[in-house]
Amino acid sequence: MNILKIAHCRKQFDGKEVLSDISLTVDEGQVVSIIGPSGSGKSTLLRCATLLETMDGGALRYLGKSAVRDENGRAVYASHAELKEIRTCFGLVFQNFNLFPHYSVLKNITEAPMLIQKRNKAEVYETARDLLKKMGLADREDAYPYQLSGGQQQRVSIARALAMKPKMLFFDEPTSALDPELTGEILKVIRDLAAEHMTMVIVTHEMAFARDVSDHVLFMDGGVIVEQGNPEDIINNPSQERTIQFLSRFN
Amino acid sequence: MTLTAMIAKMSEGLGRTCAIFFLTLLFSLPLGLLVALMRMSKNKVLSSVTSACISVLRGTPLMLQLIAVAYGPFYLFGYTLLVKEKLLAIIIAFSLNYAAYFAEIYRGGIESMPVGQYEAAHVLGYSKHQTFMRIIMPQVVKRILPSVTNEVITLVKDTSLAFTLAYMEMFSIGKQIANSQSSFLPFVIAGVFYYVMNMIVAFVMSRCEKALSYYR
Amino acid sequence: MKKLLAAILVMMFALIACASAEETVFKMGIDAEYPPYSYMGDDGQYTGYDVEMCAKVCEILGWTQEVVPINWDTKLIQLDAGEMDCIWSGLTIDVIDPEAYSISMAYSDNSQMILTKKGSGIEALADVAGKRVGVQLGTSADILLSDGGDAADFGATFGELVRYENYNIAFTELMAGAIDAVAIDIGVANGKIAEYGDDYYCVAEPFAAEKYGICFRKADAEMCKQVEDAFMQLVEDGTYISLAEKYGLDTANLCLAK
Repeated sequence: MNILKIAHCRKQFDGKEVLSDISLTVDEGQVVSIIGPSGSGKSTLLRCATLLETMDGGALRYLGKSAVRDENGRAVYASHAELKEIRTCFGLVFQNFNLFPHYSVLKNITEAPMLIQKRNKAEVYETARDLLKKMGLADREDAYPYQLSGGQQQRVSIARALAMKPKMLFFDEPTSALDPELTGEILKVIRDLAAEHMTMVIVTHEMAFARDVSDHVLFMDGGVIVEQGNPEDIINNPSQERTIQFLSRFN
Repeated sequence: MTLTAMIAKMSEGLGRTCAIFFLTLLFSLPLGLLVALMRMSKNKVLSSVTSACISVLRGTPLMLQLIAVAYGPFYLFGYTLLVKEKLLAIIIAFSLNYAAYFAEIYRGGIESMPVGQYEAAHVLGYSKHQTFMRIIMPQVVKRILPSVTNEVITLVKDTSLAFTLAYMEMFSIGKQIANSQSSFLPFVIAGVFYYVMNMIVAFVMSRCEKALSYYR
Repeated sequence: MKKLLAAILVMMFALIACASAEETVFKMGIDAEYPPYSYMGDDGQYTGYDVEMCAKVCEILGWTQEVVPINWDTKLIQLDAGEMDCIWSGLTIDVIDPEAYSISMAYSDNSQMILTKKGSGIEALADVAGKRVGVQLGTSADILLSDGGDAADFGATFGELVRYENYNIAFTELMAGAIDAVAIDIGVANGKIAEYGDDYYCVAEPFAAEKYGICFRKADAEMCKQVEDAFMQLVEDGTYISLAEKYGLDTANLCLAK
């Protein structure tokens, strides 16, 4: 069963087309990486998929439920209530973490499940503490974001997303804002999630990581998917000129 | 008139000074937020009308606004309530004026919030209202506290403008004593009163800042 | 019997209530910073020649006096709006439009004087030429000396006409030598000289003569008449002059006594 289905997504900014006819399907347990130069539209695609950006045309479905449908080339969004429900299907981890600085680590993780999902406090706290333990932050639940390193903050933000029990997770360049020596701890967390068959879409610049962790890799440039397929093939033996050029910069 | 008599007489007006101060804060702080939200509204008409009002309120002297509020309705419609209820007229004029200043402070604070905070809340399913009340506003309060402190200190001193409507607050009484007794002592006393009030304001506000310093 | 008593009590209360409801409160608007006519006394109560005369007038008419300190800059607006029934506070009536207001008879001449300090070299009005002269903003001295005023030509001979928010500040500047003289009502001038001592004196000749009176709303001509009549009784019985002496006013200015 596919969890996410994007069909013919189009998006313009001030008349400039940043996404043209992008289609993508993500199955349960699948890990998809999106690579490409900056300005290629990969982050915009992620933001359209997570409903932070509205697409101009195309369709978007989660678990078969329609968030956006195409009507004569125009994107038509579902009702406010329907979108609210659809939003519970996925979580998003930002490049800059975007933790709430005035909340403790524990409150960052527990508020939304209790407030939005109306889940039981004891259960939510237990879930949150389990997640923190998994992230190696069991002793930091009372800390505030500013007291944590970038890597620790990103782990908290992953825990925050997971506490909502989403069907899938999006990562928007999760290691780009981190010092190089801290990227490893985040990549390890994502690897562990992959091992647990978490469905994930990851926008990243870490080529080796993308190759190792994903089932499927997309290379985007100029608002189109230039090449996609098996990670080994795309990253080790790209067939398109633009992909070759892009990857050569990483070696 | 002895010094103690002067202080006692001026203290009678101190209650009125405090009434202006506290009532103005009570109304202008929430009103300022409302005005800020109207100013930032996506509705072009609403935001430009609000913006024009802010511009007038900040661009004309509070003294003129006091006269306009108290006597404008009388000359236009023969409405005398605001003339007879001085405090009401003063609170309306002060609250509108200070709301305009507070609105711009709020707006600055709200607009300085990183868009990522809104997006993180949005993705987690917070409603617009929840995002504003739980995520944005608490952080805005911390950011704007120093500017608000400045305005509050100015307000303490601005209460003396109530003399424009012949409202017998502390400074007006002080001036009357000064002119009756040909003495500058009442001005010294007034200075001490204002300074002490502002020390209290500064103390309370620094306590607030400390209370919010648990995060950065 | 009890019922009758109760009925009588009720009637008495009703009568008292009626009586107090019919009581006329007369609100006099004053500039509370204008001694000796109207100011705050040592006991913190408003007093002065005008305030006490008004009290006597109210006594005669059976009214209750209420003193309302006003903002002198907006006095006519406040009168129009009904904040008080009259302006009675060393008010120069020459500058008030009789078409728009009911104005009482003049109760005092108000000579406008040049007050100066020993050593200023000012002995006559002509000596003021080129000097710095202070006034309180909005007083008759200010209006008279400013452009369009009756003494504007005299004012034009000054080096500078310096306007202060009140005379207290003007006198401080005079003492400090920042200005050479002060243009001021004779009554206020005599009060200041009594207070500050012999170093201060007025040039003998006034530069203008104005008149003090009481200003009412146009519609209150009847009230104006009542006050005038009561005032005349006080002139007759000598209160008019004795109070003036009490407040150190120059009795030569009391035009109704002549």
